[in-house]
Amino acid sequence: MMDRTHRSQPKNSSSCTATAAASTSNSNSKFRPNRAKSLKNLNPSPTRNPSYSGRISGKTSDLTDVEERNNKVGPQEALFEQQEEGDPSNAPSIIGTCPFMCPVRERAQRECLQDLAVFERVDGNPRRTSSSLAVKKFCRTISTKDVKAADVRPLPVLDGTLKYLFELLDSSEHPFEVIHDFVFDRTRSIRQDLSMQNIVSDQAIWMYEKMVKFHVISHHKLRRCSGDPHSISSMHHLNVEQLTKSLRSLYNLYDINRKPDSTYENEAEFHSLYVLLHLASRSHSMGESISVWFHRLPPSVIWSKEMYFARRLLRFFRIGNFWRFFCTVSAEATYMQFCIIETFINEVRAEALACINYGGYKLHPYPLALLSKILKMKESDLESLCNACGLETSVDDMGSKVLPTKQTSFCHPQGDFQNYAFVGLEELLL
Amino acid sequence: MAYVSMGEAHRRITEYLERFSDAVLSQDGAALRQLLAVSFNSPALLSLADGLNVFQDANRLIKQSDKYVQHSEILVPLLRSFQSYRLGHLVDAYTAFEKSANAFIQEFRNWESAWALEALYVIAYEIRVLAERADRELASNGKTPEKLKGAGSFLMKVFGVLAGKGPKRVGALYVTCQLFKIYFKLGTVHLCRSVIRSIETARIFDFEEFPARDKVTYMYYTGRLEVLNENFLAADQKLSYAITHCNPDHEANTRMILKYLIPVKLSIGIIPKDSLLEKYKLVEYRDIVQALRQGDLRLLRCGLQDHENRFLRSGVYLVLEKLELQVYRRLIKKIYIMQKQKDPNKAHQVKLEVIVKALKWLEMDMDIDEVECIVAILIYKNLIKGYFAHKSKVVVLSKQDPFPKLNGKPINS
Repeated sequence: MMDRTHRSQPKNSSSCTATAAASTSNSNSKFRPNRAKSLKNLNPSPTRNPSYSGRISGKTSDLTDVEERNNKVGPQEALFEQQEEGDPSNAPSIIGTCPFMCPVRERAQRECLQDLAVFERVDGNPRRTSSSLAVKKFCRTISTKDVKAADVRPLPVLDGTLKYLFELLDSSEHPFEVIHDFVFDRTRSIRQDLSMQNIVSDQAIWMYEKMVKFHVISHHKLRRCSGDPHSISSMHHLNVEQLTKSLRSLYNLYDINRKPDSTYENEAEFHSLYVLLHLASRSHSMGESISVWFHRLPPSVIWSKEMYFARRLLRFFRIGNFWRFFCTVSAEATYMQFCIIETFINEVRAEALACINYGGYKLHPYPLALLSKILKMKESDLESLCNACGLETSVDDMGSKVLPTKQTSFCHPQGDFQNYAFVGLEELLL
Repeated sequence: MAYVSMGEAHRRITEYLERFSDAVLSQDGAALRQLLAVSFNSPALLSLADGLNVFQDANRLIKQSDKYVQHSEILVPLLRSFQSYRLGHLVDAYTAFEKSANAFIQEFRNWESAWALEALYVIAYEIRVLAERADRELASNGKTPEKLKGAGSFLMKVFGVLAGKGPKRVGALYVTCQLFKIYFKLGTVHLCRSVIRSIETARIFDFEEFPARDKVTYMYYTGRLEVLNENFLAADQKLSYAITHCNPDHEANTRMILKYLIPVKLSIGIIPKDSLLEKYKLVEYRDIVQALRQGDLRLLRCGLQDHENRFLRSGVYLVLEKLELQVYRRLIKKIYIMQKQKDPNKAHQVKLEVIVKALKWLEMDMDIDEVECIVAILIYKNLIKGYFAHKSKVVVLSKQDPFPKLNGKPINS
């Protein structure tokens, strides 16, 4: 059971202690010979779109999402079929010399084209930016051969850029989706610069941990944005893609830097996120199943508290044990873990309703007070969920709300669930 | 390495070259394949390699005769591969072999009949095995292991060569199986898909035409993929095919198939006899099977924990974890049976308290609300027929067939 005092404030798990490389010596970790490299450097699949072969030269060229779908590369297959940003290759790497957050050339060009984000404008002027405001954009079709050193930012600059972007996240001047959009793109560019320079040190780990955390936070916050639902939904989807990509690159980095008898402080938690992301994955296609992923993990990660949590949650989810599921989330989830789990919570709740409705004795309607405790909801929210699932609630002789069972009108709600609070974890989410 | 004189070395090399060109000339596949098996450590090839390391200029010998020169693209790197392998330079051995294999494929294309198929099988096998060893050498030197991946690409090429209308096409399944082994080893199992699609949908292939041994291996791997994806009915079908067509004398192979078939069968409610587990030394399943028979949840958890590594490695851990529901069901059934003996009229009502007590006796501490939740799930998933009465804290079992057989159908999730 996790010590509750940990959660009096949002857990900042990518604290700077990660840079003190591998500080915690994990007594559970057994030395494992470095077979690191099998996750990367894998051939592009033969089904890759041939029209792209001209542009993919040197190292990374990020396919657009549309192209990915055309190549029938699902999110699980994308793990191995494209060289990930952040994966070192055997191509010669550049050493960047750009001293600013944005290369001078690009800054001038975008001023001309009036292609400046709100955060980059001096006094709101769409034609003017400055070296302290402009941040390099992500560029899709780049090959390392064509890139000039002056356009690539070296590690200290990237580090400073990332810190600057994170300060923006706290701003309340703009709606979150606007901030997200900007940080999303600019962190992708940071990853690109890291990858082009083949930077795979501890520092890269620290930066990737921060960037993954950004995606996790966005995963949580985008669901609560009130902007145009279509564009937010597509932002959310793209965010999950980049979250998964960055996670995989991060795992690669952990592997590359692995030392015997030590682990990175946050490595276990970041690995647990992968399991949680795949909580509901029905691997009916011949994709990489989570089983194969498990068996390649280092023992120090598998036996960690965070992975233990994630695996139990996976078990409860697959068996349908909603009682334990909610108990365990409530007692042990960290902030980042909860952000990921959040997506599935209402699904579990709806299944619980289905179960109870199906098997409950008709003359014993189920008390909402108890059910809302089990499902960690407010009673009023539970009522609302019942209605969303086509179930009516009623009131018993004592005036308490109940759910009559054996209703034939149950159906899983189409589309997204409403956001219901998770009783007991409100502080975690502040 | 034994001492070899210059003259002796010269003789060995020439003898090999003679045998090689004779084999090709007379289209003798059986003879040719023996000359390609780098890793088999046959005495003939070992002594050849010793000779090569002494003589050092086999290329000159090859160029000396027209008979040998026409195969020089194959022979030069092949001999280099033997040499390197003998010296323990596995990366060099692989690289050279791959070069030779590529040249071999070029010539193979031109040979009309399928006489050289056996030799091709050896090439396919060797390329995988040498690549595995080369990767191990790379990893131990701190470098990126990439040879096995390259071997995969090579084999895809070979597959393409065999995927035609002629008699060579029966070799495609063997190559497919080598590819499966590579993909499973690399963990890139999703790459199996395109090859499977070719085998199963291309019109040129008739599955029944393939050699029996290859069909068994194919079904074994595709069965394993179905297990990973939890398509239990398909997995059962494929793995059962593999086991019924597997040579019963090959106990090791039978054991490998059973390793995956057992979790599948358990998931659809079929429990193997202890004698089967004993015979094939599948001790890792013993506790789990026993847990299912007894309804002992604690034993299931123990069984999973004790062999966790093994189950994780083979990818069946998640499948086995899910058996928990069947264990609960069995426990409730036992309570029902005991109650029936005492008082048949009231047997179908099982108090939740009794279940809680039974679990406590098994050292599992469960809240009565959690037990109610489990009961609700069992009913919902048709493992139990009946209903639960919340106020009375009782589960009322159906008077008819309260524990329906799974009947080979997996629990709908």
